[in-house]
Amino acid sequence: MTAMSEHLLRLVALQDLDDMIRESKDKALAKKLENMGFAMGGQEDLQAARDELATGIDKVLLSRYERAVKRLGRAVVPVTGNICLGCFAVIPAAFVSAENQEKIQHCENCGRILYWPRGS
Amino acid sequence: MTREELISLFSPDLFIPKLKSTNRDDALQEMVDHAVEAGVIRDREVILGMLKNRESLGSTGLGSGVAFPHGRSLAIPKLMALLAVSKKGVDYGAIDGKPVNLFFMFIAPPVEKDNRYLPALGQVVELIRDDATREKLMALKKFDEFKAILEED
Repeated sequence: MTAMSEHLLRLVALQDLDDMIRESKDKALAKKLENMGFAMGGQEDLQAARDELATGIDKVLLSRYERAVKRLGRAVVPVTGNICLGCFAVIPAAFVSAENQEKIQHCENCGRILYWPRGS
Repeated sequence: MTREELISLFSPDLFIPKLKSTNRDDALQEMVDHAVEAGVIRDREVILGMLKNRESLGSTGLGSGVAFPHGRSLAIPKLMALLAVSKKGVDYGAIDGKPVNLFFMFIAPPVEKDNRYLPALGQVVELIRDDATREKLMALKKFDEFKAILEED
């Protein structure tokens, strides 16, 4: 794993955690899961995990991430079939090489950070 | 979601008939590693971190020997369902404190076109509430037996 991809993976993990925190505060969703039998009470632990993860991220990158969240709702988005799933713009071919997928790249249209999960 | 659609989410590649681990973190790691080897997951640490964080929200071990590790992650391109059986039982911190013998792992991307994640999870939770079905599933040795149990239920 390159150093750059490690930064990208930390941002992906942070976005996952922020999504989980947001979902845990969604009352309708929490009720649905509680009705299945799942307890949804550990929000403080999630926030603590989030704070710890954030301290391990480069400050400049974290600041960019936080700004994108404020402006766009989500900072990191998956790319599927060379489409940015944040704004549905086509990603130019120059961005798509295996080497570039390991780098932190921004969608030229919406500015979100792009991430290629396996199989996309 | 029909029963056929539910069955179609599972595959022999993502079936572990004899889970070796005996504690929660090792079991999650073993299941994720299996999915990495099957080529479904690339970034194992991201998925593993997400699953552990989900457990801190509240154990997904719902009791009676069954757990449902689940969550959403950017690191998965489409809904993944993994089934694992432990003969020895896993100390999972389940809500009834009993060891877990049967795992249904569901991992979904943040956005799904067909939105199958929660319906699938809900349907399996409902399925295992039936004592006879649960016991049959806990005795699984082959993937085809799983399909047969769900088809006959």
